[in-house]
Amino acid sequence: MHSAFYDHFARHGHGAGLKGHATHYCPGCGHGLAHKYLAEAITELDVQDRTVAISPVGCAVFLYYYFDVGNTQAAHGRAPAVALGHKLANPSSIVVSYQGDGDLASIGLAEILQVVQMGLPMTFVFINNAIYGMTGGQMAPTTLMGQTTTTSPHGRDRFTGQTLRVAEMIAGLDGPIYVERVALFDRKQRTRAKRAIAKALRLQVENRGLGFVEVLAECPTQLHMTPIEAERWVQEKMVPVFPLGVKKDLTAEPWFTPEAPSFDARRLTRTIHASTEPAPRFGDGFPAHVDEHDVAIKFAGAGGDGAQTIARLTAKSGINEGFDATYIPSYGPESRGGTSYADVHVARREVLSPAAPEPHVLVAFNPPSLEKFGPCVRPGGLVLYDQTVTPEAPRLDPSVQMVGVPFTGIAADLGKVKVKNTVALGAFQAATRLFPADSFLEALRRSMPDDCEMAVLNEEAFRRGAMAFDEPFDEPAN
Amino acid sequence: MPVTMRAKPFLFPTFCKACGRCIEACPKDCIEMSTEIDPVTGLTPVVIDLEVCNACGLCFTACPEPHGLLPRPEGLGAGEVDPSVFFGPRPSTAPVPETIPDTRVPLPSFEPMVLKGTHASAVGALLAGCRHFFGYPITPSTEGAELMARLLPELDGFFVQAVSEVAAVNMIYGCGGAGLPSMTFTSSPGFSLMLEGISYMIGAEIPGVFVNVMRGGPGLGNIGPEQADIKLVCRGLGHGNTHAVVLAPSTPQEMLDLTMLAFELAFRYRNPVVLVGDGYLGQIMGRVELPCEMVRPGIPEWAVHGDETHRGNLLSSIQIAEADLEAHNVHLNDKYRRMIEREQRAELYRCDDADWLVVACNTPARMAKGAVESLRAQGASVGLFRPVTLWPFPSGDLLPLLDRARGLLVVEAGSGQLEDELRLALSHAGAPGTRIENLRRFGGMLPQGQDIVDKVIALAHGDPSCTAPSTTTSHATAMAPA
Ligand code: SF4
Ligand code: SF4
Ligand code: SF4
Repeated sequence: MHSAFYDHFARHGHGAGLKGHATHYCPGCGHGLAHKYLAEAITELDVQDRTVAISPVGCAVFLYYYFDVGNTQAAHGRAPAVALGHKLANPSSIVVSYQGDGDLASIGLAEILQVVQMGLPMTFVFINNAIYGMTGGQMAPTTLMGQTTTTSPHGRDRFTGQTLRVAEMIAGLDGPIYVERVALFDRKQRTRAKRAIAKALRLQVENRGLGFVEVLAECPTQLHMTPIEAERWVQEKMVPVFPLGVKKDLTAEPWFTPEAPSFDARRLTRTIHASTEPAPRFGDGFPAHVDEHDVAIKFAGAGGDGAQTIARLTAKSGINEGFDATYIPSYGPESRGGTSYADVHVARREVLSPAAPEPHVLVAFNPPSLEKFGPCVRPGGLVLYDQTVTPEAPRLDPSVQMVGVPFTGIAADLGKVKVKNTVALGAFQAATRLFPADSFLEALRRSMPDDCEMAVLNEEAFRRGAMAFDEPFDEPAN
Repeated sequence: MPVTMRAKPFLFPTFCKACGRCIEACPKDCIEMSTEIDPVTGLTPVVIDLEVCNACGLCFTACPEPHGLLPRPEGLGAGEVDPSVFFGPRPSTAPVPETIPDTRVPLPSFEPMVLKGTHASAVGALLAGCRHFFGYPITPSTEGAELMARLLPELDGFFVQAVSEVAAVNMIYGCGGAGLPSMTFTSSPGFSLMLEGISYMIGAEIPGVFVNVMRGGPGLGNIGPEQADIKLVCRGLGHGNTHAVVLAPSTPQEMLDLTMLAFELAFRYRNPVVLVGDGYLGQIMGRVELPCEMVRPGIPEWAVHGDETHRGNLLSSIQIAEADLEAHNVHLNDKYRRMIEREQRAELYRCDDADWLVVACNTPARMAKGAVESLRAQGASVGLFRPVTLWPFPSGDLLPLLDRARGLLVVEAGSGQLEDELRLALSHAGAPGTRIENLRRFGGMLPQGQDIVDKVIALAHGDPSCTAPSTTTSHATAMAPA
């Protein structure tokens, strides 16, 4: 009969001898049963080709020896995250994350909680045998109180933490639609376990949601018992602590059927706002009257003054004009309510250092910025400040031209204080003649293609700012 | 061979582990432990009294072995049974996996864009065919993640904010394992958390792209620009024998171009690729030209995609037998050697006739280029050697310059990790002793052009007192984006 198991376990000891057909599990281990029920469910639902099984770390680390499906082995505890990556890469794949108690309930708690809470149609099989099998019988998060393990040699007590009930915890989350705890110790439990695993898989195949099955399993080896004694131990010791049964079972409609990602070139370039329309060039050369090769400008104000926006627009104009330009925002540590500044460079060929510690031009929106950066302006440079909020400008190097323009006053006059930055940009253009006004206006228009009203207001603000400066910037003596 | 709905059991005694679970399960008490020891297993397999058996099937569901108790095909007689009755000639019926190749889609010619470094990298990822992002917000890389969060849904892609960087890297492991390009933006402390997963990715040969916008450390440090993860990305990608190509852009344009290259290399070598920027570069907005084509990714032959073609695949970093793990490392070393041979990249700026070479990458390389310009204007023959790949270090480009150069000045925003890479590369190349000096700033401070100029002039004049870096704060730029 065809099953979801390999006919020959070629990966188990290279498939030699007995290993080619027998598992690496100890005699009577519960893992083998859980494997079997999962394999049967895969076959019954006819999803073998689409299934991706995530092998955990723990005794089930070699799950990929056995399941004839796509196999990915995950780092300790990370199986849910790996499973999620698989599911999102191919939503039509059937992803099964199979984990033990150390993997899921200890080192991988964060991963399981997040992924289960997302609730995508995926299947989780959680093997709880109350002990670490592979590493040799250490305490698990699900070890019973009083239970002796190699790391709780005197019996688990409160200092080693209390027994974690995973199914209840998972059922308490909104993500999963189906959570059940089952066991393997007798015929009835095995039938239920088989059904539960099949159901958790079916809910995924039908795209309804996430199913989580906790299986109380026997680890005869680390319990130092015969398989039959271990069955009884699970029944008598584990079940009272871990009550069996359905913890959550919601009716859900199929929902997770996402569109395939788009690789349409036009859609992509629209998304990133790339334009094939050439930006018109308005100037006829590099603003060498400010600097032969590289102009440095600093825009400074309080957060919300809009210094960043006009810095970006200035860089954009520079690029539209065919030069290299950069803009770097800097919010000093003191920026909480303090200064927010931006450095812009426009270079004939290539901007080298993007910072502007010694700018040619400073545009200052408030007295603290003027105070702080005014003294850094190069000899022969220009300082443009908001006269409305700066009644008295500081004394700077006499070669630095000081220009006060009432940014805030003009903006208030226009009915929107927010546009004071555009007023400043207009004044900046008029004062520096860095590029023609149309160059800035074009950048401004392109920055708000969908908001006509704001665009009109901003253009008006730009013009009023430019008009407020009637004294052109003379050739600096640098 | 046909199997009746209700079949009696069949057992190959050697596949029985003598656990006894079937004995318990049988309502007819027709199974018992044999008294004879199986010569192959040394165990006592069960024996079944088929006369009494009523084919209830309960023993099948009690047997933990996949090939333990099997439903007995009709007409199967007693005596020796050939395993081929039950098992096919091959371990699996899965087909031989095939590659579905990438396609390159031509793009029209676009106007240059103005993008900040992190955004340019995000756009590069989209153009490279990445539609899956997994990450955890951390300054100063977050804006890249935020842009992906905004744009990916518009392209029917997926953005996942993981519970931690540890989870994020494993989501990349899964997505890359399925054969699709995926990435993250992170910053130094977050990158530290991803190292476990990166080691697993390298071991299992899974591609993925990591953009680490480096910030000040150690510990929480600050969010200013530093280059203090160079050791980590070049020498410390988690445990084991790990390497990955490390790309170091210095402009927003390169953030885009090298991110695209990163995806190409990640899939070419089936290995993660790390792109390191600094906090400053992440924030800089600059001119960015778009490429003339974009990528629609296929599915590589090795992927575990969850489809018929790829069913036979396994991704795992486990090699239990020592000889197997040694062979796997030999294979990885071979791959690393190919990377070293083929992937060294560097920009040489006015190096041909240089007496002194400034060595710098990322943002400090821009400062250094400015310094080279002004030194040249003063008549000094100085060049900039800018490694674009930090691993492999581009020693092939550097060695020929050393015949002439009197010395190297390594300029970095960090405490010498780039210099260590340089020294190691020269040592491996057996290069003769070259004078190596340095100029370093840390903690979010960047070396500035004037500092570099001063240092080179002092070196050129043989001033031995010029080893301490300048601390002129007016030239240093502190950056701390909110
Ligand atoms: S140690 Fe325990 S869990 Fe591990 S294989 Fe053996 S019995 Fe099973
Ligand atoms: S099929 Fe039923 S009766 Fe026959 S051996 Fe198995 S459990 Fe016993
Ligand atoms: S359950 Fe299977 S392995 Fe265990 S004794 Fe019976 S046939 Fe053998």
